[in-house]
Amino acid sequence: MTWNSFIYFALPAVLCWVVGAWLAFKAGKEKTATGWTISGLIIFALFITGMWISLERPPLRTMGETRLWYSFFLPVAGLFTYSRWRYNWILSFSTVMAIVFICINLLKPEIHNKALMPALQSPWFAPHVIVYIFAYALLGAAAVIACWFLLPANRPKLDEGIMSLSDNLVYVGTAFLTIGMLFGALWAKEAWGHYWSWDPKETWAAATWLGYLGYIHFRLHQRTAYGKALGILLFSFLLLQICWFGVNYLPSAQGTSIHVYN
Amino acid sequence: MWKRPWGYAEGWSVCIGLFLTGLLLQWTLGKVEVDIYRYPVNIIVGAGYLFILATLSLFRKKMPVVQWLAGIPAAFTSLVSLLVVVILMGLTRQVSPEADLSSIGGVARLGFMQMTVSWPFLLLFLYFITVLGLVTLRRLIRFRKKDTGFICNHLGLFIALTAAVLGSGDLQRLRMTVQTETTEWRAMNRQNNLVELPLAIELKSFAIEEYPPKLLIVDNISGQPLPEKTPQNLVVEDIPLQGNILDWEITVTRFLPWAASYFQKDTVHFVEFHSVGATSAVYVEVYHHKNNIRKEGWVSSGNHFFPYASLKLTETESLVMPEREPKRFTSEVNVYTEKGGMKEATIDVNKPLSVDGWKIYQVSYDETKGKWSTVSVFELVRDPWMPLVYTGIILMLAGAFFLFITAPTKKEKR
Repeated sequence: MTWNSFIYFALPAVLCWVVGAWLAFKAGKEKTATGWTISGLIIFALFITGMWISLERPPLRTMGETRLWYSFFLPVAGLFTYSRWRYNWILSFSTVMAIVFICINLLKPEIHNKALMPALQSPWFAPHVIVYIFAYALLGAAAVIACWFLLPANRPKLDEGIMSLSDNLVYVGTAFLTIGMLFGALWAKEAWGHYWSWDPKETWAAATWLGYLGYIHFRLHQRTAYGKALGILLFSFLLLQICWFGVNYLPSAQGTSIHVYN
Repeated sequence: MWKRPWGYAEGWSVCIGLFLTGLLLQWTLGKVEVDIYRYPVNIIVGAGYLFILATLSLFRKKMPVVQWLAGIPAAFTSLVSLLVVVILMGLTRQVSPEADLSSIGGVARLGFMQMTVSWPFLLLFLYFITVLGLVTLRRLIRFRKKDTGFICNHLGLFIALTAAVLGSGDLQRLRMTVQTETTEWRAMNRQNNLVELPLAIELKSFAIEEYPPKLLIVDNISGQPLPEKTPQNLVVEDIPLQGNILDWEITVTRFLPWAASYFQKDTVHFVEFHSVGATSAVYVEVYHHKNNIRKEGWVSSGNHFFPYASLKLTETESLVMPEREPKRFTSEVNVYTEKGGMKEATIDVNKPLSVDGWKIYQVSYDETKGKWSTVSVFELVRDPWMPLVYTGIILMLAGAFFLFITAPTKKEKR
């Protein structure tokens, strides 16, 4: 399996997700909508599995490979939110987001090196990155909601219902963020001898985590300051972006981060 | 402001005050000397700190300041202030906390380049864990079952952070370089001083397993792989092998994983060589269809013992083999302890060896010699506070689980 066959998996998967998203708007079609979304996920998972086998390592190292997981976990997060809280539009939303990341991978394929440096060959590698990417997907969804409702035209529509959706996504997202970070700490202890070294990636991960904790605590006390809360949410997502790929370009992190592998 | 009950304004003021105090201390005293906080000083300081927190919590009803410190406005403002210094840390290039920057003036005197040992960071960090500690104790004192998730998150973080800070003075991280077939018991600490250890490592052998070689086309002037943004490569696994890079059709006809070079009439040749110092070489034929250029010759990454060989394709492009990347490196060792014990083991990256409270990590080797390195570099870590930090981490993992399952109930409650 190579990136050349990506499109033959991506297209049918997207098709399934679109059908699922469309059915979610129809009353009484919850089960079929879920079924279509899961079918799409299975097709997409087949490609990831194929890549995993042919690369002889989990496809988690390059940016292109993490985008692959992002496109996979967005519908997972969407489906999770849909089956738990029944927001009928969430599947359309996650599908559109997944399509964006699939398009980036189709239009800007990167060279995918087979080599995996010894420090990355660990049972912690897959859970650490996968949990993080799932958190990114949920928090990405929350950020798009924040963006949308911070637009002056949509601002009046902002109510407790929207905020509780945002809270739900952030709580679950932060839970995964915490797990990802702690798995990273446990792994670092096994690989480098210490659980936290303030490597630039770690520093920005800490900043991201504190940002979302800030949102959670702010919401507990300032229930009605919707705009400010969403502002904190967007700022935290900016920190997340720096942590995810910004550190690769940040002058202060050049040549010092052990997390830059590309 | 400063009228009871306190709120956010007071919270921000406290944080800004601490930050400015920190800057002033940094400017006058220099970085924080953390070295003195090792056993038993850290135990005493830690116990005293916990005692103060507990006393404050028990009598908090009489102290409005303590009540405020254990509330959300103080938690939020201290959290955001810590976030600000962490962002400053992320934006400033960090150097090792041991490095001496006293000769550099200007911005370096603010301590941002060694943030973790700077006064502004430590004061805000201490304030943050104090607030966290008081918040946790407040809930612990009147514990109810529904607070379980809250306690896991907050107590876990408090334990992990406090133990990490108090334990940092007792943390020993040493680097030991061992020659094959010798025994070493001295290692270098972070200040580059040699330390004698209660254990010794005998390196029986060191081995590297490498990934298959790759072929790249590089720009002759810049040396950068082509095409510039997304370099392509050809992995030589089995021969005969054919592939394309740019417009060149590349055929590998011979692959010598164990090779030695010799010169004959100004050209370099390779032969099989099954001994110490061998390098990898491939014989390639390349063809450019459009320009009808045909070339052939040996390409090798070379190593410490043999020179590298590249194939010049045009005035601007050459075919090269970069050094093979290590897939795995391991050391076969015997570890002797002071009590006369002996442990035979293989130390691998990601698979450290535990002996007498020490963990021994495989970290490096002589990279100039690569596969033929006769030394292995280990890191030896002793971290007596680690079980406590792990207790905190496990509590936080449980807390994350609670965060995950309790999220939806919010909707009904409001």
